[in-house]
Amino acid sequence: MLALLLKPKLLSLKNSISTKVVLRRLPFMAIGVGFWVLFYIGTYKVLMYVRGIEFFGEILSRKLFSMTFFSLLGFLIMSSIITAISSFYLSKDIPLLLSKPVEIRDILRLKTFEAFINSSWMVLSFMPPVFIAYGISYGASAGYYLLVLGCFLLFSLITAGLGITTAHILTRLFPAKRARNALLGIGVMLFLMLYFLVKGLIPQDISTPEGFINSIMSFKTESPMLPSYWITEAVFPALGKSGFSIFYPIILLSNALFFILLSEITGLRFYRMNMERIQPSGERVKRGILGGYYPEMNTAMFYKDIKTFFRDTGQWSQVFIIGALIMIYVYNFKSIPTNALSGFPLIREIMVLVNLVLSGLVLSAVSARFIYASVSLEGQAFWIIRTSPVDMKRFIRSKFLYGFIPVTALMLVLVSLTNLAVDIRGIMMYLSLGTVLMLCISVSGLGTGFGAIYPKFKYENIASVSMSLGGMAFMLIAFSVVIATLFLEAWIFYVYKMKGAGDLSGKIQIAACVFLIFLINAASFYIPMGIGKKKLQEQIEII
Amino acid sequence: MIILDNISKSFNATHAVKNISLTVNTGEIFGIVGPNGAGKTTTIRMMTGLLTPDEGKIIIGKYDIVKESIKAKSILGYVPDKAFLYEKLTAREFLIFISSIYSIPRNEALSRMDEMLELFGIKDIEDELIESFSQGMRQRLLFASALIHRPEALLIDEPFMGLDPFGIRMLKDVIKDLSSKGVTIFLATHSLHFAEELCHRVGFINKGSVISIKTKEEIKGMEGGLEGLFMEIGGGNKF
Repeated sequence: MLALLLKPKLLSLKNSISTKVVLRRLPFMAIGVGFWVLFYIGTYKVLMYVRGIEFFGEILSRKLFSMTFFSLLGFLIMSSIITAISSFYLSKDIPLLLSKPVEIRDILRLKTFEAFINSSWMVLSFMPPVFIAYGISYGASAGYYLLVLGCFLLFSLITAGLGITTAHILTRLFPAKRARNALLGIGVMLFLMLYFLVKGLIPQDISTPEGFINSIMSFKTESPMLPSYWITEAVFPALGKSGFSIFYPIILLSNALFFILLSEITGLRFYRMNMERIQPSGERVKRGILGGYYPEMNTAMFYKDIKTFFRDTGQWSQVFIIGALIMIYVYNFKSIPTNALSGFPLIREIMVLVNLVLSGLVLSAVSARFIYASVSLEGQAFWIIRTSPVDMKRFIRSKFLYGFIPVTALMLVLVSLTNLAVDIRGIMMYLSLGTVLMLCISVSGLGTGFGAIYPKFKYENIASVSMSLGGMAFMLIAFSVVIATLFLEAWIFYVYKMKGAGDLSGKIQIAACVFLIFLINAASFYIPMGIGKKKLQEQIEII
Repeated sequence: MIILDNISKSFNATHAVKNISLTVNTGEIFGIVGPNGAGKTTTIRMMTGLLTPDEGKIIIGKYDIVKESIKAKSILGYVPDKAFLYEKLTAREFLIFISSIYSIPRNEALSRMDEMLELFGIKDIEDELIESFSQGMRQRLLFASALIHRPEALLIDEPFMGLDPFGIRMLKDVIKDLSSKGVTIFLATHSLHFAEELCHRVGFINKGSVISIKTKEEIKGMEGGLEGLFMEIGGGNKF
């Protein structure tokens, strides 16, 4: 029966693939491959450096391996919960499936499969460079690659089972506003979990290099109760010549089966009941303090988008994932042993640069979720805009502001906090804030434009928009803009330090870099916005 | 008021609409009927600016829908066949949004909104989210939103979709009333008896071309009325 239920999805996929589509997506694939190569090179270099450290090298390498899985464990569980709520309770095909003579058990299996694929495909496609880098670095045999593939699938199944079970229980526990409250619950729970986990696991003494290494080593990713430990134990020995034990792969397999079964049992118990509770009930919405507000034409779309955002769980639930990532980022920055590193030359400047690179990564991810998806958010109701006397330029500008304002506020606060955490003030603070502001403008323009060039008006849930090929390509291009800008800024700083302000060739280089920075950022803003506006005017497949 | 001048549209080398030319006068109710896939919706979508004709031009009032789209759209109301709306807005919020993008002054908008909500019988549910609306309620809201800016021309694709008998009666009265006030109405429908009852003229479209245009009087004088003509022109008798 599962095969039969999957058939429409597979046929839809097959029908959507044509030579034209493949050709159109070739640039994205090229970007993806480029990212893979860069990610592989970066991982390999870091790994070789780490392994070269005297005494600690091999231990640190193993530690990094287990920490990678430990981080993935949390991310995949979070992603599975959110995806499971969308797949099981908010998908558009649910009413059709429930009205047909199909057993609930089969619907649950179909949705489990969907939730598993949707929550893990991104991680599954981003991780190979890491595994390959480890394999090449250790000269592993082909058996390692097969083992890592199998074990990683089992690991993802465990997280999917856990996520789906939690999603059913949470939807059952929060009966009033159903999904919305359930997701709020998840958010609070995750926040507390992460806070206590991170606070509890990292020792406070990180003010010396020894303390720093100790803190990494004592980060308790190695509890035998965690799936991340099982997969590390299953895979890591296969890197060496000593071979591997079958014990941990079996632990992974048995747990994958157990958690998938548990999710099915929980689903059988709660699904019907939960489905009845989440039906729209014609509940009245209070007008609130802004009930009498009448927006002007210029602000009407912005106002509508803000209202929709706060009412649509599919949108703001993603804030939790972003929030968790940002929390980890700020905490990590706060944990940097600035005292221990104070002896290194230019450490403050390097810290500013690292902070900007990391915040650029956050900016790209947040923009993919909220800015890239903003045009697609119109959904199939986009006909309303297209048949109204609204200029597409005005529309796209409104979408830009809708994303730009909150993202910029967030990034400015984030960079200020992290700079203050490592005691960076004065001119360096102003320069980094100026850079972030400029990047926010260009990346927001890039995101709005890209979202308009590749809109997805027919979507199951809004999270799928940012995870589309266009979304991924945007994220990688946005991060490239960040890296290019920061590289040029770093070069200006280097030239200034090395040659001083008076040197002519230095001045020329600095001027060229400044020109290039503005050119890259202006092009990132204007070109996609312009093409996006044109594409939206031509867009025909909307209703 | 509405001029279609030799318009054509193809999708993947297949003609959806082929060399259609017609004029709809001010205050006239013009109906277009035809079998499924005949080109009715494509024609209406070109008239709204959702699609651009490959050839020919469309004039709404004094404006070309392609060259002066903003001006043309500001005097146009459109009710599509599928009611995709902003699900997370209430009916009231949706009408406020529409009023704003048509630049209707606040006080006028609020008074027109109340009038529309009353007229289409959705005042009681104005503060409910659209996602909980039935098909009929959505259709009523669509009409309210299409009329709130007092359009000079109204394009309707399947006007009676999902409406109960009260809704149908009310809508027929509204359409007649609008026409008497000088609003030009272009509607596409499968409901031949409604077309026969409401329209001053009816055009028959098949395989993208308008085959025949008949006035109300001409239809009345024909044996079998509009249905008989439809079967004859559309080839339905063979079934």
